[in-house]
Amino acid sequence: MIPKLAYRMIEEVVGEENVSDDPVILDSYSFQYLAELQEGGAKWLPRPAAVVLPGSTEEVQAVVKICNRFNIKFKAHSTGWGVWSGVGREGVILLDLRRMNRIVMIDEDNMYAVVEPYVTFAQLQVEAMKKGLTCHIIGAGANASVLASCTSMCGYGWTGIKMSHSGRNVLAVEWVLPTGEILRLGSLGCGSGWFCGDGPGPSLRGAMRGWAGTLGGLGVFTKCAVKLYEWPGPPSLEAKGATPFYEVEVPENFRVYVPVFPDWKSFADAAYMVGEAEIGMVMCRNAPFLIGMALSPSVKDFYSLWESGALKDARFNFVIVLGGSKRQVEYEEKVLRAILEKTGGRNHPLAEDEFTQRQLFLAMIKCCYNARGVFKASGSFHTSLGSLESWDSAVRGAKIGEALKKRFIEAGALTDDGGDNAWGGIYEHGYFGHLEELFLYDPRDPASKDGAREYLQACVNTAIEERLGFGLEALTEGAETHDMYGPLMCNYHKWMRKIKAALDPKNLSDHSFYISPSEEDQ
Amino acid sequence: MLEDYERYMEMCFRCSLCKWPPLAQVKSWRFSNICPSIQRYNFHAYSGGGRLIVAYAYLQGRIGLTKSLVDLVYRCSMCGACDVSCKHNSDIEVYETLHAFRVQLYEEGAVLPKHREIIENTLRHGNPYGEVKEKKAAWAKNLKVKDLNKEKADVLYFVGCTAALRRPEVAVNTVKILKAAGVDFGILGSEEPCCASTAYKIGARDVFEKHARRNVELVNKLNVETLVTSCAGCYRMFKVEYPTVAELGFEVLHTSQLLEKLIRDSSLKLTGKVPLKVTYHDPCHLGRLGEPRTPWSGVEKKVLGHLILTDPPKPVRRGGGGVYDPPRNVLKSIPGVELVEMERIREYAYCCNAGGGVKAAFPDFALWGARERVEEAKSTGAQAIVTCCPFCEINLSDALNGDGSLKVYDLTSLVAKSLEVGE
Repeated sequence: MIPKLAYRMIEEVVGEENVSDDPVILDSYSFQYLAELQEGGAKWLPRPAAVVLPGSTEEVQAVVKICNRFNIKFKAHSTGWGVWSGVGREGVILLDLRRMNRIVMIDEDNMYAVVEPYVTFAQLQVEAMKKGLTCHIIGAGANASVLASCTSMCGYGWTGIKMSHSGRNVLAVEWVLPTGEILRLGSLGCGSGWFCGDGPGPSLRGAMRGWAGTLGGLGVFTKCAVKLYEWPGPPSLEAKGATPFYEVEVPENFRVYVPVFPDWKSFADAAYMVGEAEIGMVMCRNAPFLIGMALSPSVKDFYSLWESGALKDARFNFVIVLGGSKRQVEYEEKVLRAILEKTGGRNHPLAEDEFTQRQLFLAMIKCCYNARGVFKASGSFHTSLGSLESWDSAVRGAKIGEALKKRFIEAGALTDDGGDNAWGGIYEHGYFGHLEELFLYDPRDPASKDGAREYLQACVNTAIEERLGFGLEALTEGAETHDMYGPLMCNYHKWMRKIKAALDPKNLSDHSFYISPSEEDQ
Repeated sequence: MLEDYERYMEMCFRCSLCKWPPLAQVKSWRFSNICPSIQRYNFHAYSGGGRLIVAYAYLQGRIGLTKSLVDLVYRCSMCGACDVSCKHNSDIEVYETLHAFRVQLYEEGAVLPKHREIIENTLRHGNPYGEVKEKKAAWAKNLKVKDLNKEKADVLYFVGCTAALRRPEVAVNTVKILKAAGVDFGILGSEEPCCASTAYKIGARDVFEKHARRNVELVNKLNVETLVTSCAGCYRMFKVEYPTVAELGFEVLHTSQLLEKLIRDSSLKLTGKVPLKVTYHDPCHLGRLGEPRTPWSGVEKKVLGHLILTDPPKPVRRGGGGVYDPPRNVLKSIPGVELVEMERIREYAYCCNAGGGVKAAFPDFALWGARERVEEAKSTGAQAIVTCCPFCEINLSDALNGDGSLKVYDLTSLVAKSLEVGE
């Protein structure tokens, strides 16, 4: 419960129909993907004290100021997918930013867009394509929020080879601090527009998000600019057919390949060469289980495909999409062929099939099958390991992850995906990369969800023992994990705490998935 | 039983895919919503996934049977778009779960007054509007149509309450067309029963089952080869839902399907020019919800540890098997008609927002959704919206409120016009 006066004041700001403390409404915000992997294993998160739907930066600011006046904790989310989108304790007001859903501008000449929190990648991409541009889309899929990924979370996608990851794509940012003040980062901070995140004006990208983002624990991001990239395809990709398989013609100036290699070593070498040659607008490793699931109309079809062994020789693969002018694509094809020759790779027969090519093209460019690949088989999945490293280190991490996961598969806790379900690729033409170990579990099965939780803990321990770096297994854990990793990594956790304390002196921005201002306060 | 659907509630992974068209079909920011309810009310509870969670909370006793719960559940046209978008990537039965939730509330006595009225009218008067049954035959006066209560014919033209009582021109045009094509058909006139589509969607399972059994028995006794209907709601009841409780001895067609057939075999020749740029609105009950069911009973089993299979494999209705091409093919056969498509079509069409009891209980919300659809139609540059459901026609027309920017036609109007001009 929040004070009646505070509730009434919020009503005055956003309007009666945009705030609710009705349990019927609130409970729909208490059920989240991955909640069962939290300590205790309960599917339900704490119920927010109220949910507010602000419609503008001014409304967000006014609500945050009311929270400050009454000492009420708050938390904001955008598309709100994942346990970190929920509140971590009782008494917290949740700001659902759904009404802030505008693409503020697309600057074609300078290749960036300014978006509000509820703009999805799918929405931004279709509008950008009309202007010959496209955006980086994260692995979660095109249904995710552009702003949330760029400001508050980590996110890599299939175009990472060229477009890196979300943290690198964010430019200027408008940020309502936990105190209710508005901070404008980068060029926006000195009235020079949205074109740059790091100046002129304050450059606080590290404090704002670091690698993994603050997961709603440090105020509310209300607008941000993101980089756009050249799109050499048509202004719209017309998808024909009927669900579950829409089909898009692969444009003449694009090619889709699925090179496979004899082993991890040749796979890694080929990826380095692809990076050095700066070819490809998509390059991503998808384990056979993931490819099979994404391309199968039903779980039964997948199982038949899996059991047939047709995917076995596709293990050391990456999907690569070449796109550009006709001459560029011809050149890139020649380069790719030469790389395959040097590394003993070959194009997998799967990629020779036109239907599969069309599906892969659609999946890689529009990121529309992502959920199918991971949720449909067992009901849920999560990811582990996969910190940003050199590519050889990423491959080492994948091998370690596979060995570790096999133990849990053998114990019956996780779905048997062969052990290897490492997903990822090189970023920025091979400058660095990541491979995260996906795992599937049944959230309705107590043994499976307990096993999944134990596996995550084992990943934390392994990442520390093997010096694999801060990985994705730690995303849902908040301060406890930072306190474990921090001493091994320049005591970064202490800096995080200082940032939190400085920007949130009353500790009102719910830090359950970020970090507390002091260890005692956790 | 709502409990039977608990697994789908638990399986919701809260991705929000239920709020948009399947991602491959997002064509613009402007028309990227798929669910009128979440688009209008914004709280997550108003989405397909949100309602699954609310149902789960209810089942677990976290929330009680309150006025706000009932209001939430029924501020939804049950159009099934969330189901299509979700099942593009999953096998979660969103629609069936939401329907079971309505059945549960109905059986616990939580019925909105306007919905109670519809159910009582259906039971008492044989139509949801509460009109005296004789009125249902008024449109056919002087048309010399066979009365199948007394005569025999190959085809039963099942008019439907909305066409008979609220859009009689649909029935009149249909009769003209069938006669022009030489179809041996008849009607039941004032004896035509209600299909109970609205009662079904409200959750009144007992009313639905009673009507399903009685209606199938009635039509079986007529010994017709085919039942053809003008109404998308009636079509869905006969084609999709009735077979779950009774065995049909006749083929079920929507008017658009029969017209397509008649044009193809040259029984119906459309020569008259109708110069009109039109866009086609897919009615939910003819489209995604008109996809037939394949009966299934079986069990879940696990392989590869936790890979969930159904044994035997359960067919999943994803919405792609509805009636989409016949109305379009008929439109393309009318000389002078130019068909331009909206962004949200076929199984991912945006609902007109009249169904599921919304028009009766929440008329403002019904119009709000229809206005959104009208805006999309206008964006195509069309002069008219054509549809195949009299209830959609009513709601879209109401949204336009005679502003003259667009006309709304039933498919049969344009076909009849072409016949008239061609004479």
